[in-house]
Amino acid sequence: MGTVVSIELADDLPEPRLRELVAGTCAWLHEVDARFSTYRPDSEVSRLRRREIRPADCSPDLRLVLDRCADLWRETDGYFDAYATGPLDPSGYVKGWSVEVASARLAAAGSTRHHINAGGDIRMRGAGPDGGPWRVGVRHPWQADKLAWVLAVRDGAVATSGTYERGAHVWNPRTAAPATGLRSVTVAGPDLAVADAYATAALAMGEPGLAWLAERVAEGYESAAVTDDGRAFTSPGLPEAA
Amino acid sequence: MRRSTAAAVGTLTGAALILGVRLSVQPPSAPAEAAPAAQEVTEEPAPAQTSAAAKKPAGSSPAKSSPAKSSSPAKQKETDPAQDAGGLKTGTYQGKAVQNPYGTVQVTIKVTGGKVASANATYPKTGFSGTINPAAVSKLNQAVLKTQSAKVDTVSGATFTSQSYATSLQAALDAAGA
Repeated sequence: MGTVVSIELADDLPEPRLRELVAGTCAWLHEVDARFSTYRPDSEVSRLRRREIRPADCSPDLRLVLDRCADLWRETDGYFDAYATGPLDPSGYVKGWSVEVASARLAAAGSTRHHINAGGDIRMRGAGPDGGPWRVGVRHPWQADKLAWVLAVRDGAVATSGTYERGAHVWNPRTAAPATGLRSVTVAGPDLAVADAYATAALAMGEPGLAWLAERVAEGYESAAVTDDGRAFTSPGLPEAA
Repeated sequence: MRRSTAAAVGTLTGAALILGVRLSVQPPSAPAEAAPAAQEVTEEPAPAQTSAAAKKPAGSSPAKSSPAKSSSPAKQKETDPAQDAGGLKTGTYQGKAVQNPYGTVQVTIKVTGGKVASANATYPKTGFSGTINPAAVSKLNQAVLKTQSAKVDTVSGATFTSQSYATSLQAALDAAGA
């Protein structure tokens, strides 16, 4: 399944330099796709699935991804599961991680103000276009052209998982049934891969995920969630725009 | 030009299978007024209810869901799981049922070996059951879901397909910035 990545650089740099930076970011994301896609038979992940290579022989990047998936499986009581659909599928971590790496590489290359939006999951760095924080709209879970919240984020990530876009595709591993109860979960915090995993895990939990999300606030991850029947919940520290 | 926007279409996420049917796209009738998420529920068993407590079979393991973070007075260190002298009495205790806007909340705690082994809050009307920490629920504030049309730099939402991207707010933003 494809997704769309939007990159915006707000740096005061010459346009050729900006284009180079965007091209470098796109090249990295395509490299990640080639190496980690479960849809490409020649990717490292596909070779690992077919046991042509052992976990110990994997690239340091893939070993890191596998380790973090295992950590998140524990941290989410098993609700974030890279094996939820059967064979290994680390995509749920790879997307956020690859964007984190892309943002760090942009910063190292001189871009201190940018955002990368990978299919609705966003990493921001520095000030936005108007000098203040980036303004991040959270899509309304029933009205595609409307927003439910607007967040103000300078350095950090916002990830949303929901059942409204691709149907009930998130599974509750405890009941082996599609997740129900929550229609949309948005998590804001320092790391995009973690925020994304937490949003997916809470969605899989259903309404008990609200209590679980409240406990993540202590780790620096704020949240906003909407139940299937339209009740909206936010953590007190959610960075809502004024 | 200070801004440069680019969109790269790729197959970045080998996403999970699309299973099941789409949920209704009709917005539900939102609750009429904002209401607190949940009320604080006392977890201490009322002394009067102790006698009615069910005996817990010896050696039964605590509930395997999240560890009980209870405010119960079971501070005593456990010395022998079979012994409950000095701690709380082994048994299952039910707290007072509390009405909140979407159902009755009742907290049940199980005590083994003088310690709280599990705390369960049940929300019968919504099927919201399982082991939860009621205090944590109240930390998320409930409000009526609003619709906003504000100027934003980017949009967070559930991962769209390449097709649905075309009609998304993010696509409109990208088109405007390109």
